[in-house]
Amino acid sequence: MSSRWNAHLPRALSLRLALMFALVSVLLLGALGFYLYQSLEREIVWRDDQALIGRVERMRTLIGDADSIEALRKRPQLYANMLGNRDNLLWVLDAAGQPLIEINPTHLPVPILPPGVGVQLQDGGEHNSAEPGNESARLAWQHVTYEGQALTLVAGKLLAERAQMLAAYRLKLWLALGGGALLAFGLGWVVSQRGLRPVRTLAGRAAAIDVQHLHLRLEGVEQVQELQHLGAALNQMLARLEDGFGRLSRFSEDLAHEMRTPLNNLMGQTELALRKPRSNDEYQALLASNLEEYERLARMIDNMLFLARAEKPGTVLHHEPIALHDAVAQLCDYFEGMAEERGITLVNEAHGTLNADPQLLRRALANLIANALRYGSADSPVRITSQTLDGQLEISVSNRGDPIAPEHLPRLFDRFYRCNPARSQPGDSGGLGLAIVRSILQMHGGSAHVESDVEATRFSLRFPVRV
Amino acid sequence: MRILVVEDEVKAADYLRKGLGESGYVVEVANNGIDGQFLAQESEFDLIILDVMLPGIDGWQLLQIIRRKSQVPVLFLTARDAIEDRVKGLELGADDYLVKPFSYAELLARVRTLLRRGAPREVEQFQVADLQLDVLRRRVVRGTERIVLTNKEFALLQLLMERSGEVLSRTQIASQVWQMNFDSDTNVVDVAIRRLRAKVDDPFNPKLIHTVRGMGYTLEVPE
Repeated sequence: MSSRWNAHLPRALSLRLALMFALVSVLLLGALGFYLYQSLEREIVWRDDQALIGRVERMRTLIGDADSIEALRKRPQLYANMLGNRDNLLWVLDAAGQPLIEINPTHLPVPILPPGVGVQLQDGGEHNSAEPGNESARLAWQHVTYEGQALTLVAGKLLAERAQMLAAYRLKLWLALGGGALLAFGLGWVVSQRGLRPVRTLAGRAAAIDVQHLHLRLEGVEQVQELQHLGAALNQMLARLEDGFGRLSRFSEDLAHEMRTPLNNLMGQTELALRKPRSNDEYQALLASNLEEYERLARMIDNMLFLARAEKPGTVLHHEPIALHDAVAQLCDYFEGMAEERGITLVNEAHGTLNADPQLLRRALANLIANALRYGSADSPVRITSQTLDGQLEISVSNRGDPIAPEHLPRLFDRFYRCNPARSQPGDSGGLGLAIVRSILQMHGGSAHVESDVEATRFSLRFPVRV
Repeated sequence: MRILVVEDEVKAADYLRKGLGESGYVVEVANNGIDGQFLAQESEFDLIILDVMLPGIDGWQLLQIIRRKSQVPVLFLTARDAIEDRVKGLELGADDYLVKPFSYAELLARVRTLLRRGAPREVEQFQVADLQLDVLRRRVVRGTERIVLTNKEFALLQLLMERSGEVLSRTQIASQVWQMNFDSDTNVVDVAIRRLRAKVDDPFNPKLIHTVRGMGYTLEVPE
């Protein structure tokens, strides 16, 4: 809905803002103008009515003061002068409704007025299109008795003048409204241009950041509060990108280095063998050794592909409920021989069920157990335990042995990270085991942790418990 | 047994021809899809090994063409092992697949399985030299001496005897005996073999379990 709405708006933010300014001012000015117009109209109507009522009353006094109606009739000019202009109407009607005195420059028909007590008001002199100049009028009248004769005193005012005046006022209001909107648009545009200047600054800075300049941060927008938040968020994103990019390029570099070792062995040994004729046994040994190196390379590639795929979004997992004790027992069974040779006992204290991909869980745990067997001290137990911790199921593998130095812990799950670079073991696939553990956990929405002290080194896998 | 290998990599095609030839098969090689299609339609084969990336007609297309006329077992080779690729191959009618790089022993094992297919035999007793293994009674006897094995040692020995004469890689062994379908950078299999040897081979002669350096293990009567 909102996106459709947005599609119709102009693209430039300043133009949008200016349009909104204009819209707001039209609404405001319009409401104000309407209110003023209404009150003016009401005021004029009230004042006109008061004037008409006053006139009827003055006429009654006049009639009361005059000798007779005849005397009054002879001096119509007096009223005319008194009334002053062509807008005003005056009738004195007898009981039969015939005008005794009439001042009626626009020749409105004599009104027929309902009876009543006191001064009454009504719009009258219905429009008569047959006579030009005829217009509607506002009338005030009073029925009086004068010397036994029933008279109706009528004062009127044509509405034309008022209508003209109001029309002129309306026109002015419309003009003011239009002008105001234009002004608001113009001012709004200027203001938003100025107001959005920090955004353009931000855009400029952002444009300067590329792969070579990932260390740059967005600056110069600190004084604008909203942009401060945006800038901070973008800077955090840049920091994450820089970190990710750093890891990626470090990873490629590490990968190249890791591949060099087996390749170096392959090239050196083969070259040496070809230098002079060798015995069959020597050739066989060479080829077998080469095969080992090839396998090492193949394993590295497999693991790398596994990691690359694990990070691709949309990887399908085959979740099923796994009885942890049984799964761990199977692994203990697998590693039993190796453990016995080192005098290590595998202690299976895992229990409960976990919904996860069984292949991947097995692989993660196998990597941890293999590590524990490799680095655990001889004649000590390796414990595999499980527990539920606030909505997470934690499986831990702990071994005794030399603690891992604290500075290594945060990077332990990184690809190719080795605490001791010189201690890479022949035949291993190059420090990818724990990276694989971490990515398996990430695929499951969980996390991998490590803690190490003189007591024990403990790797734990935390899986979210699915409800 | 005639095998058609359709593979455009000359080195790969050569060693497949040589290896399968040495294993007693008659091998024809086509270096592109068109030749492969011609050979597959012209003559009868017991198995076709098909590379997916081929010039001319690719492996998928060739597989479809072959499947229109024949149900010959097809093993396809691919360097791309995305799950979609495997599924595609199997859906198009391939019988098995191998991801490059693969070990030759693995290829040979798959080839044998595919050629055996249709006539699966449930063997209950194995014998190599004076070593006997009874699957149903779970008994192992060497000469006249009864040997007591753990469950996994038994499973390992059974695998080696079933495939006597074949070289089994560590990965194959881990997968078959412990269902560990991944490389775990450990010497678990070596340890297990060492322990099995201690019981089955060390007190006796001739030695039956042999290490094939760089490849794996095999159980056979030494020549």
